[in-house]
Amino acid sequence: MSLVMIGLEIHAQVTALKSKLFCSCRGNYRDFKPNTNICATCSGLPGTLPVINRKAIEYSAMISIALGCKVPNKVMFYRKNYFYPDLPKNFQITQYNVYGFSSIGVEGIFELDDLKKIRISRIQLEEDPGRIAYVDSGMNVTNSALIDYNRAGVALIEIVTEPEFTNPKEVRLFLNKLSLTLQHLGVCDTLLEGSVRCDANVSLKGGNKVEIKNINSFKEVEKAINYEITRQSSMYNRNIKVEFETRHWDDRKKITFKARSKEEEHDYRYFPEPDIPVIVLGDGFVSNIKDLMPELPLQRFNRFVSKYKLSEHTSNILINDKKLADFFESILKIHFSPVEIANFLITDFKSLIEDDVENIDYLTNMKVKPEHIGELVKMIEENKISRITAKDILIKIFDSGKLPSEIANSTNSFKISDEKILIDAVESVFNTEKSAVEDAQTNHEAINFLLGKVMKFTKGRADPKIAMRLINTRLNKAGT
Amino acid sequence: MISKVDLAHLAQISKIDLSEEEIEKFPMQLERTIEYIDVLEELSSDDSIDLDLQEIKFDQLRDDLIKNADGERISKNLTEDGYLKGPKMK
Amino acid sequence: MSNLYDLLASEVVDGIKEGLFTTEEYVCSVIKRIEDVESKLHSFISLDSEGAVSSAKLIDRKLREKEKIGPLCGIIVGIKDNISTKNIKTTCASKMLEDYIPPYDATVVRHMKENGAIIMGKLNLDEFGMGSTTEYSRYGPTHNPWNLDYVPGGSSGGCGAAVASGECTVSLGSDTGGSIRCPASFCSVVGLKPTYGKVSRYGLISYANSLEQIGPICRSVKDIVMIMNVISGKDMNDNTTIPSSSITINGKTKKLNVAILKELIDSCDGSVKKTIYSTAEKFKEIGCEYSEISIKNLNYALPSYYTLASAEASSNLSRYDNIRYGFDLPIDDYKWEQYFSTVRKNFGEEVKRRILIGSYVLSSGYYSKYYLKARRLRSLLRLELLTLFKQYDLFIGPTMPILPFKFGEKIDDPIKMYLVDINTVIANLASIPAVSLPVGFSNGLPIGLQMMAAPFEEQKLIDASYALENTINIRRRPNLT
Ligand SMILES: [Zn+2]
Repeated sequence: MSLVMIGLEIHAQVTALKSKLFCSCRGNYRDFKPNTNICATCSGLPGTLPVINRKAIEYSAMISIALGCKVPNKVMFYRKNYFYPDLPKNFQITQYNVYGFSSIGVEGIFELDDLKKIRISRIQLEEDPGRIAYVDSGMNVTNSALIDYNRAGVALIEIVTEPEFTNPKEVRLFLNKLSLTLQHLGVCDTLLEGSVRCDANVSLKGGNKVEIKNINSFKEVEKAINYEITRQSSMYNRNIKVEFETRHWDDRKKITFKARSKEEEHDYRYFPEPDIPVIVLGDGFVSNIKDLMPELPLQRFNRFVSKYKLSEHTSNILINDKKLADFFESILKIHFSPVEIANFLITDFKSLIEDDVENIDYLTNMKVKPEHIGELVKMIEENKISRITAKDILIKIFDSGKLPSEIANSTNSFKISDEKILIDAVESVFNTEKSAVEDAQTNHEAINFLLGKVMKFTKGRADPKIAMRLINTRLNKAGT
Repeated sequence: MISKVDLAHLAQISKIDLSEEEIEKFPMQLERTIEYIDVLEELSSDDSIDLDLQEIKFDQLRDDLIKNADGERISKNLTEDGYLKGPKMK
Repeated sequence: MSNLYDLLASEVVDGIKEGLFTTEEYVCSVIKRIEDVESKLHSFISLDSEGAVSSAKLIDRKLREKEKIGPLCGIIVGIKDNISTKNIKTTCASKMLEDYIPPYDATVVRHMKENGAIIMGKLNLDEFGMGSTTEYSRYGPTHNPWNLDYVPGGSSGGCGAAVASGECTVSLGSDTGGSIRCPASFCSVVGLKPTYGKVSRYGLISYANSLEQIGPICRSVKDIVMIMNVISGKDMNDNTTIPSSSITINGKTKKLNVAILKELIDSCDGSVKKTIYSTAEKFKEIGCEYSEISIKNLNYALPSYYTLASAEASSNLSRYDNIRYGFDLPIDDYKWEQYFSTVRKNFGEEVKRRILIGSYVLSSGYYSKYYLKARRLRSLLRLELLTLFKQYDLFIGPTMPILPFKFGEKIDDPIKMYLVDINTVIANLASIPAVSLPVGFSNGLPIGLQMMAAPFEEQKLIDASYALENTINIRRRPNLT
């Protein structure tokens, strides 16, 4: 038995859906005034019935398949009964596998790396509760909670892993890969505020499991687990028994704290949801979904390596940012030069972006379009501009959205290969750098120094090969 | 046998405060009902019996379309800024 | 012509369309009738006479302007008060929904309105449909129009009494374990519980979703058909609905194979038994054969029914926490759990018992012992019945094992009360259609014949009912003066 055992329960909203899981209100509840994105059904009015969204089944099946799960032929919904003010019906419609497999995904295997696989116990489709917007606390007592049902009924995926992570790094690796997979499927935007939540259970040395709830972003998960491991180890060191308990993650103080014991006594009284018949997916379902599925990260990686002859390193960088990879491929449609373009993107292009990493959606909002990069790389390849100039032009595209050729023209950035102009430049350098010219007769290093001066003189636009030839010719002349 | 403790637990998970009278009367009445339904135990628990639940085909499910609900709103306990006012959490 | 309020739905529609009387005249006649008898019966929880009159005027105007009105033109419908009606209070006879005004119409209500029916008001029931007498209504019981000291049956007791006494043309009730057929039998009117999935439940305030259906209670078989053809069909708001064909009244009955269910007739009261057997003989007059058969799994039907119904109810009724709808109790000073528990005291005793039993049978450790077993019995029973339906067209027997009884007789003993549902729950468990048809009286109290058919074979029920209705001559109207 390993020292640390960690299991995860991840909730992710299926943000690609237009409507909620059981009614036709908007799935994107953000930016609505409280309780305005609701109808009789999602606000739990008497007599309403859940009407299930077909696309929600489709998308959650995609996720299940992508995470290596089996999709049962018949899918069922259950009621999970518990009272809470954010639950309009005081029960949640979810899925449950205790009386036979009937959730959208079961028994999955997800590869972390060549050595480690994590088993996925199940994937469930369920409804998100509403939100309690303000909970009174402290001195300034408001004698009420403020409830907003705009989110109630939004489709949510719950992914439950076996407790098979042995350190927080594996957890991070898993969450990164998971995010990437969800990103590539295009069904869950994990970057949207409040779209993912995570619970983690942590046990040490085969001791009691401690459940950490309320981790509101993937970034915080590793911190919460680290905190919990430290807390539990110090208890072991002091011979204090770790109790089976539920703790909450406080993301301001960065600590876990014990939940009130009552919350652990839930008896959820699951039973099949009578208002939703058993959904028969049919024989061709899984293969149909597979046909609809976008390419997954691993497949795309392999394709980049084999079809575009990119290095594994380059491919990885591109794949790890789905929008960048998409951008890359749309440039190829304009100018097919995969290696050059990929290299340009991951070096010059990314170096400009990384100053501004907070702007996560840079690729959708920026003025740089595939045509720009296509033309720019083509200009480098055709030796019309230098790499250094290319980067300067790129900065100008970011600002103006103008075409590279237009910028190069207006700023006189094209390479100078006109020998007349270059001879003048060499002549001028030879006149000012007399001692270097003398050295150069014997010392090869000094020739490079002269070339540098010529480049500087032409503001980097001189074609270095031609300039070098002219310098050598001029030296020979001077020597005789 | 349904004890007062059992009853208290059931009342707690059902979120119903019981009156003194009900606490006296209910255990006996519930016990009789449970005895009555206990005959179900005689039934075979053969798992092979299909539960015969109603079924619906995947392609008959609703399309993912947005419809605006007009007037189907909550009218009670709303604050000025539109929140539903519920009892305090702590 | 006697009183307008006495007319059947088909007669009302014809009368209005032929210009014998106006819709307004008809509606006023019914309102007058309500004024005369409602104080004795207490069928309604809320009345909307004004709304009914203005709807009538609107229909009359449209008719004058040659606009088309649907097939229910001008008939008056009473709606059981657990079916949502837009802008009309819908209480479920519970304190928990005292002031609740739904912002939407149930699908059936929408259909009724669109086809020309006029809503007169909301009819009494046992709280949330849980009961067989209306004694569990928060607003007091409804009285049986045939003898005011007796219960009208339940839970749709208001529907039975109002239709029998001419307070409305037809009514819509709901039937979870017999709630349409029981009052139909006790009040001597016709009540149909459709096949599960034939009629949309959208807007029906759930008691036990997997068992219940909305259905009509009327004074004639023909009226039942008129209503059914308007309310049934696939509804995009209810995933459990299934498209089905319409039904018709055709004078000729095909030869039907009829089976008397032995267990049901053996266990009923002597006077009921006598009437049912003599009705069985009438089947011969309409050209049908009958024989007696036994059903194996019947002993478990009622325990299974109460397990499933209570389980579903306990969950369905969780939403009544008094925050979005309910009565006036300020939330200040309560912690949410205290508030929920305090307000939920206000369910009636029977509702509380069923919630507690439901929580019990679903709680961990008991699920397989009760819920799963009950569900299995349901499948077994359905399978057994479907097999028998290959041989027989109809199962018949008494709707109720006893005659209507006096108020207070069974209210103190839940099990005694549950036992009166023993004949009716079968159809709900098996999801099959069943009708109760008035077939006689004993000591002035009505007796109903129950007929069940295979899923979506409502036509067979209607054929047999229509033929019997024309053969059996019984008094049709209670004396309430
Ligand atoms: Zn909604």
